[in-house]
Amino acid sequence: MSFSRRNFLIATGVAAGASTVLSACSSGDAGGSGANKAPSVDKAKAATIAVGTKADSTGAAPEVPGAVKGGTIYTLDQIDWDHLDPAQLYSSYEGACSVLFLRGLTGYKVDSKGTTTLVGDLATDAGTATDGGKTWAFTLKDNVKWEDGADVTIEDVRWTFERLFASFVTQGPRYPQGWLIGGDKYKGPYEGKHLDSIEVSGKTITFKLKEAHADFNFMLAMRGYSIVPKKHDTKEKYDKRPFSCGPYKIDSRSIGKGATLVRNTHWVAETDPLRNAYPDKFVFQFGFQSLASTDRYIADQGNDQFTLSLLNEVAAERIQKVMTDPALKKRVLTQVDTTCYYFAINTKRVTDVKVRQALNWAWPAQQLKQIRGGALSTATATTIISPLTPGHKDFDLYGKKTKPTGDPTKAKALLKEAGKEGQRVVIAMQQSDNSVKQAVAIKSALTKAGFTPVLKQVDKTSFYSQIGQLDNEYDMFAAGWGPDWPAGYAVIYPCFDGSQIADGGVNWPQLNDTSVNKAIATATAETDPDKAAKLWGDIDEQIMRLAAVVPDYNPIRNYFHGSKVGGVVYDSGNTCIALGKVFAAK
Amino acid sequence: MFRFLVRRVIGALVILLIISAVTFSLYYALPRDPARMACGKVCTPELLAQVRHNLGIADPLPVQYWHWLQGVFVGRDYGGLGNCNAPCLGFSFTNREPVLGTIMDRLPLTISLALGASVFFLIIGVGTGMIAAVKQGRAADKIASSFSLLGSSLQIYFVGYIAMYFLVQQLGLLEQPSYTPFTENPAKWAAGLLLPWLVLSIIFTANYTRMTRSQLVEQLSEDYVRTARAKGMSRRSVFFRFAWRGAMGPIVTIFGIDMGTLIGGAIITESVFSLQGLGRLALTAVDANDLPMLLGVTMVAAGAIVFANIIVDAVYALIDPRIRLA
Repeated sequence: MSFSRRNFLIATGVAAGASTVLSACSSGDAGGSGANKAPSVDKAKAATIAVGTKADSTGAAPEVPGAVKGGTIYTLDQIDWDHLDPAQLYSSYEGACSVLFLRGLTGYKVDSKGTTTLVGDLATDAGTATDGGKTWAFTLKDNVKWEDGADVTIEDVRWTFERLFASFVTQGPRYPQGWLIGGDKYKGPYEGKHLDSIEVSGKTITFKLKEAHADFNFMLAMRGYSIVPKKHDTKEKYDKRPFSCGPYKIDSRSIGKGATLVRNTHWVAETDPLRNAYPDKFVFQFGFQSLASTDRYIADQGNDQFTLSLLNEVAAERIQKVMTDPALKKRVLTQVDTTCYYFAINTKRVTDVKVRQALNWAWPAQQLKQIRGGALSTATATTIISPLTPGHKDFDLYGKKTKPTGDPTKAKALLKEAGKEGQRVVIAMQQSDNSVKQAVAIKSALTKAGFTPVLKQVDKTSFYSQIGQLDNEYDMFAAGWGPDWPAGYAVIYPCFDGSQIADGGVNWPQLNDTSVNKAIATATAETDPDKAAKLWGDIDEQIMRLAAVVPDYNPIRNYFHGSKVGGVVYDSGNTCIALGKVFAAK
Repeated sequence: MFRFLVRRVIGALVILLIISAVTFSLYYALPRDPARMACGKVCTPELLAQVRHNLGIADPLPVQYWHWLQGVFVGRDYGGLGNCNAPCLGFSFTNREPVLGTIMDRLPLTISLALGASVFFLIIGVGTGMIAAVKQGRAADKIASSFSLLGSSLQIYFVGYIAMYFLVQQLGLLEQPSYTPFTENPAKWAAGLLLPWLVLSIIFTANYTRMTRSQLVEQLSEDYVRTARAKGMSRRSVFFRFAWRGAMGPIVTIFGIDMGTLIGGAIITESVFSLQGLGRLALTAVDANDLPMLLGVTMVAAGAIVFANIIVDAVYALIDPRIRLA
């Protein structure tokens, strides 16, 4: 895929936060462990990320077996970071890199086996909820320092959340803005006013929410809620050079080309349960396409032995070579992504549920999978919530697993029942070679099932803008969503709650079903994680019975690295490689 | 000569003005929305309006263009993002810095690439062409002609990847292409760029070989050459004092255009070797819908071509006295 930086973020809906452990990861030459198997969504288990105790939130981070201190770790990726101001930062790629210098109230602690726990990062624990989840309190740790040696203060924490409301903040996640009481009228702290629903006392900060949010502490683990020092807040300019309270600080940066991180000597390891910070230096290098980085990892020469990629994956041109050579495959971290790509069906235009169900029955899942590169790079989805996300319920309402090439007979029968034989379906596709190939397969399958498909190619840069318009002229279009934290809420609420229907919103099917809305409200208020997970799984099935989308696939990521990079494990909370754990082997 | 240069520089500035206006208009004629690209994952109409305002693209197109022109001469203030001093070619909202700074950061690589490659393709191309012309019809000529035909039919994205694979990744004979400033470490500068120079020179050498050969063959058959030889001048003197000088005019012209194009950005070369020059910058700007950056790179590229042509015209006149600067 040749997404631009911004397209990538928009098109994938990739964001910091998602779920659980990988189904199979390979071991690095220099460290790590795992089975050398192909990944499988089917065999994957949605392991709920546990909330850690106060003891779990205390540093230092658990040692990585065989790790050594010192040396330099390099990266090779295609694109630079779009944003470094936490308030503007959304993608998991930026989150993966900035973990080295940004710290939030909570974070995900990853052990060397890839087990992830939600713990306090700058906070002493993962937070305390009262009032049924409507009030959350966090206490700041002692001895946490900025890169100039000054203490991180509770005023900095308050400032961080208040500045999210400033007018220059247009790109980061926007949960607190909608959740905090009085957030709808607040304009930010720059005119000297505080938001009343954020209270500070001593070293404790308290957030008061309009409604109960049992997973507020998970939401705060997004890198977008990392703390910004009031004294060094340069507003718009902060995006270029954030101030560090992590183990490294930015030494130099050339936008589009690279950046070098060196140690922040004021960082205290004992306050940090997430980051081991073994290398002395990180050198980020941008402008390398996947093919270039893959070839360099195959050659494994010089500094490339100490190099890894956080966004670039094994290039499609080399995937067979790499995945069939045990020596190379050993250096690939394979991970099923929590993003689900689907074709949204515009329920305002395709109002008959039988027609929508017929589209699901007719879907050529197998053909599309082959076009996208086969089982090494995608897994067929039958549900909206990924099998790796807590809340996933295993069901296959439209026989994708039993008839992966589609069931035109069943689709035809449904169309006949609905009296809609020959139904015209306008499908919007992004302009790309791959989309054209997929469009041909979809058109052929739908035609066989008795539809009259009409394909419309849309420029990729305006695609999401067009499908986000409520009065768009499309019946179906490709979309995708990755949860911002590992919970059903983060998948279902933004994309399927009736209240989210708006121009520019992401309830692309424009689903506004009373029973679904009611179920979402009930699940949101549920404070027991297990009960909530079950409720979200039921809602997923409920939406699929209404056939608001055709689930398409979950991507499989293959991250390659050099032979002397150790400690390559996956942070399933932030859906990226846990950079705080890697080391340069001798 | 002075009047000639002044006239050409004024003409060049008018051309650049037209290019800037056309680029600006064409870009906005495309069905793209930079604001949507810069808006977040959940982009409400209010947020979109805010982004439009922040990006300075809420004004009508002529007003935006006028502001851009003003910036070139007097600089611009971009509010919270800071000032952009004159000559301000715009402010990239993708990179969050003035575009000229980024262009100047990438320019040394592109110039290094162009200059280094030109040394190779001029020496090898012109040299081979001269041998082919002198040995016209013989084995050396046939070999040179065949290689030039082969070279001109190759493409950088083909030769580049093959060369990378064998010379760098398999045999380790050459260094991974990279850029180190000449002032920092001349040896590393040359080692990092050697492969791109060689590959670029393979492609360009062919043209120079063929052109040098055909120009020299033509010159060597001219009456004045025969006359000089008849008057007793040595073959060497006739070749270098008359024929070679006469043949160089068109070669200098093509060289000027090639240099302008290379400095404007060798997009494919830079992409193949993962080098961050002007070509890659332009490509990234297109992909990211970064109009200010695209406009800036276009202006620098256009400027390089236009001014390279002025230099070529002047040099042409010096080489060939038959040409007068009218």
